[in-house]
Amino acid sequence: MNVDDPAMLDILRRCMVARIATLSCNGRPSINPLYFVCQRGRIWLGTSEWTLAARDVQADSRVSVLFEVEQHMCSHRVLRISGQASVRTEQKVQRSYALRVARKYLLTPGGIGNYLAHLRQFPSMHQYHAQSAEKGRACVIEVIPQTAEWLEL
Amino acid sequence: MKQVTRNIDPASARDLLERVPRACLCFACDHGPQAQPVVLVWHDGRYLVGIPQKADRKPEPDQEVVLLIDEGVHFFDLRALYIRGQVKQASAPREALAADCTWVEVVPLKTVAWDYGTLREVRDER
Repeated sequence: MNVDDPAMLDILRRCMVARIATLSCNGRPSINPLYFVCQRGRIWLGTSEWTLAARDVQADSRVSVLFEVEQHMCSHRVLRISGQASVRTEQKVQRSYALRVARKYLLTPGGIGNYLAHLRQFPSMHQYHAQSAEKGRACVIEVIPQTAEWLEL
Repeated sequence: MKQVTRNIDPASARDLLERVPRACLCFACDHGPQAQPVVLVWHDGRYLVGIPQKADRKPEPDQEVVLLIDEGVHFFDLRALYIRGQVKQASAPREALAADCTWVEVVPLKTVAWDYGTLREVRDER
């Protein structure tokens, strides 16, 4: 996989929500939209250990991930990366992921505007995150890319 | 006992089927899971899915798939319809005759919808 391809780097930089396809231990498919960041040639997708995506990855490490630029949906150009994934729960990884996610999603005009527009839902959001933490630890699905393809719709 | 949920009645996300901000299909193949962007036409309550002809892999008839239609970037804007179902052969819908696709129908077995903009407390029915 050519990780130096400028077009590929550009879409990974501009895409905001990746869609990761996984298989369960019984081979049942699933696909979920997740926030992500790129880290030294690897892709980190944030979720929690109890989610289907994380449980699937622990059962079968093969994944297929779609990336496209949401602001230019009319272009219909999608990057598909296939690779091997693992679930990482180390504190160091969590901290690094949280910092990068804050920079990418929260500390931006769009991110701040979205939160300000929903201030009344903050208690629900905190409770929602607390519920998730009760079910299991936050984790990062780390994808080591093996192949990348451009898809056109 | 109460809990906060993001889940909504799938009927409330009907606009996603009418506008289709983006749609993709997931299925198992020899190489593992396959994620494939698709064209979706929702016609008379049927989920007609166009897979580009040049796609290297396509699901087999009766194979289990997941169809995901989602939108949004920021937390409270994230919405989705997640449809687990079986693939059946279908002919091209009139609305999309021009698209160079193989058409299948996804017959739903289970549908889930969520909208983070509607996070709210509900009675826990576990």
